[in-house]
Amino acid sequence: MAKVKNPFVDALKNIAERQDIGSFKKIFDYFGPRLKSFLMKSGADEAIAEEIIQETMTIIWTKADYYDSSVASPSTWIYTIARNKKIDILRKTRKAILEDIDTAILPPVESKADENIEHDQKFEMVAKYLDDLPKDQLDLLKMNFFEEKSHGEIAEITKIPLGTVKSRIRLALEKIRGKLEQDGSMANLISDNESMVN
Amino acid sequence: MTYEILSTPVNSPASLLFKQCLAEIDPENKLLNSAMNEVGGYFLNRTEETPVSNNLWDRVLDQTKNVKSPSKISDEYDPLLSQLPITLRSHLKNNEVKWKSFKDVKVASLLPKENNEKLELIHVMPGAKIPQHTHEGNESFLVLHGSYSDEYGSYKQGSVQVRSDDHDHTPVGHAQTGCIGLAYTHGKIKFSGKFGKLLNIIAN
Repeated sequence: MAKVKNPFVDALKNIAERQDIGSFKKIFDYFGPRLKSFLMKSGADEAIAEEIIQETMTIIWTKADYYDSSVASPSTWIYTIARNKKIDILRKTRKAILEDIDTAILPPVESKADENIEHDQKFEMVAKYLDDLPKDQLDLLKMNFFEEKSHGEIAEITKIPLGTVKSRIRLALEKIRGKLEQDGSMANLISDNESMVN
Repeated sequence: MTYEILSTPVNSPASLLFKQCLAEIDPENKLLNSAMNEVGGYFLNRTEETPVSNNLWDRVLDQTKNVKSPSKISDEYDPLLSQLPITLRSHLKNNEVKWKSFKDVKVASLLPKENNEKLELIHVMPGAKIPQHTHEGNESFLVLHGSYSDEYGSYKQGSVQVRSDDHDHTPVGHAQTGCIGLAYTHGKIKFSGKFGKLLNIIAN
């Protein structure tokens, strides 16, 4: 049986099942300050960043039952909601028109993961892969998918040829995709063996 | 091309909605999109903390009290709608979408025009021929359902065609299925054929 490694999987579950304020606060305390860094780095001022955090937390509260631990890790789910909310809020007209797009990040899945498997270990493997990447390669991914820079902008900043930027990012993504594709049971098996060593 | 679009950061609702649909329509795209999001989540976990205002938690609590619980997207039976990505179905359900009808083509503007960007759902009836036109700026067209063909080839569900203003073509919807597609445009479509001038006035 897979061990629960990520406490936020449980927190989201508690919110979905019994509107647990304590779990909600735990998510806020951890992700609030991190979301603020992310949002302010990608162009929001302080007030807007907090408005987006507020909206993001509200979505977490109301849509926690859409979270499926076999589809994304909690930080990915929360990151994606915040990024989408940012796009909506930073618009000129500021009328929420992507009201429901957040649910589409992870459409409700009928085949909800086996309740006994609390968190899919494949996400731990993705994190491990990224941990082990050389820093210059990791930086390219950070610029592309966290700081939201285009390949062209990254090439300019790093002075690495555009083609090289593209192929390095693509290679890393293919590796990550391969890990996400892996059969859950296989991933569990590997991590169980690892936990025996520890 | 798909990869290019997926890995380009989105900065507007139109590009986000287009990308979500692109990710949804093909399991491979979806997985690639998930991989990109996991990278974002990885860095969110590891980024430094910026303290939030003391009252932010109270504001959050206040807001959650006032929010109505969301309605899930029900699987109402509409054979046409059920073909579309869930992102789009939910958007259509939650927003007032105005359809413009032409002879054999229906066009719905999905988002208010902003910065010369537009996102349209285009429904070409079976066998219908769209007058020859070019594209002002860039148009990315994603086939959501059915297929269509033009002078250069035929395009199946899930494929994306990117056209710029020097591209001139006359698309025809598949004889049996017709075609539903999502068009993301920077700029206006310019009709160039016989009735071009007239259609430009109508379409824009």
